[in-house]
Amino acid sequence: MILNLEAGMLSKRTRDVPADGIAMSCRVRLARNLAGERFPDWATERDRERVFVKVRDALHAEAPGFLVEPVAAYEEQEREVLCEAHLISKDLLERAAGGGVAYAADGSVCVMINEEDHMRIQGFASGLDMQAAWQAADALDTRLERHLDYAWTPRLGYLTACPSNVGTGLRASAMVHLLGLRLQGETEAVVRSLERMRLLVRGIGGEGSEAAGQIYQISNMDSLGMDEQAIVQRVSRICAEVVRQERNARIRLIQESPLVLVDCLARSLSVLQNARLLATSEALEFLSAMRLGASLGLFTRMKVAEVDKLILMMQPGHLQKVSGMVLNPEERDEMRAEYLSRKMTNVKLKC
Amino acid sequence: MKCELCHKADAETVIRKKDAGEEQELFVCRACAHVASRGEAAAAPQQDASAPGPSETLASLPLMGMILDAAFEIVGRAVNLSELTCPVCGITRSEYRKSSRLGCPACYEAFAKELDTAVLEMHRSLQHVGKTPEKARAMWQRQQLENALNDAVREQRYEEAIALRDQIRRLGPPEGQQGGPA
Repeated sequence: MILNLEAGMLSKRTRDVPADGIAMSCRVRLARNLAGERFPDWATERDRERVFVKVRDALHAEAPGFLVEPVAAYEEQEREVLCEAHLISKDLLERAAGGGVAYAADGSVCVMINEEDHMRIQGFASGLDMQAAWQAADALDTRLERHLDYAWTPRLGYLTACPSNVGTGLRASAMVHLLGLRLQGETEAVVRSLERMRLLVRGIGGEGSEAAGQIYQISNMDSLGMDEQAIVQRVSRICAEVVRQERNARIRLIQESPLVLVDCLARSLSVLQNARLLATSEALEFLSAMRLGASLGLFTRMKVAEVDKLILMMQPGHLQKVSGMVLNPEERDEMRAEYLSRKMTNVKLKC
Repeated sequence: MKCELCHKADAETVIRKKDAGEEQELFVCRACAHVASRGEAAAAPQQDASAPGPSETLASLPLMGMILDAAFEIVGRAVNLSELTCPVCGITRSEYRKSSRLGCPACYEAFAKELDTAVLEMHRSLQHVGKTPEKARAMWQRQQLENALNDAVREQRYEEAIALRDQIRRLGPPEGQQGGPA
């Protein structure tokens, strides 16, 4: 299977990021299962393959532009690329028989097949345009339902492998960059208040991951008892408030602690320009600072969307895919440092 | 089905064995049962009201063996029959608790009592509001009517059964006829 990184599929979301870039992207995911079939974790290979065929046939009928393939059809590096682009999860990577992925050419919607549930339909959008993400996922779901018998009851809604997703099966999440709040020492208070409002706050890699680069995923905890529109609107409204707080933190940073801010940006640029070895997590911390500086217009020749592209392209799968080589971790760190240094050559701090 | 202790001879009987405080049923050959009976008391079949009596258990061994064989083949794990088990996929309550993942849509009915508590705790609600897939709703409605019809026939409530049958007919032929536990 050949993934074309330059086709725009994986970078579309980063191209459309709003100017201040605090809200990076959002996603609405719908968990769906087929009636009469075991959930993937307890299914046999044959069960999973049967489900894959049913879903694939439904997709061929209703979404002819989608590329539908078993995960196994992709080479290891390509799977990593899909994972880094958030089109598939690490769980799906590990799933052998029956695991599959389908996505639209523009990357706006994708379906993971036989992950935790038979289908995870995901709609993506840039910034906080959660309505667009919901509409994309909802439209595909409605079309697929014509061909598939969903496990659903009037009382509990869509039945899912884990009861935490039952009901609408909907998880609306936004990825937000909160470095300003971090530099002001206010992140923990914001995270605590979000959790009190029954929102999940996780790192960039989803469940169980740390917020590397101060990039957080905020999503709803409850999927039952509220309709889809209400959930989407609520998460969207609260995330917009978080964005407002981050924006205020950035303004205060400029007004009250400009030296702290400039020092952070200058150090990050310097490391990215001169380092000879850079691990992914380390590079992400410096690129996070570059992203903040770019959003404040403090760098020449560096925009937020470009930093976002670098964040994607410097990850192990993408790095190896672009280089066309299989690299060990040290070789990757060397190539990452060299790649980022090249990209930062003409970048200067304005102040 | 092979003996679960020696894995050579065919299983012919069932014994109970305590392992790490948990009682398990094992399907074993005569020789292993004899050896086990010298070490521990041979197992008495489960005593709950819904369970078959001892003679029934032994008599139904070939069928049970086939079911267990299928279970082993399907999920590669032992099945503890004394536990609450989903009748459709065969996962037990402890397996569900351990993995936090249900086996199939029918598990929501099989473990309804404790799941309702968990779901209420997770979502603060027990009533779906929102999208209704038309096909699934129609399937569910038909299933409910068919269940009610079966009950009415079994309990010889024939007038009610006729009314239910007519209601089912009015729904038209089932679409796709895939059905399911949900």
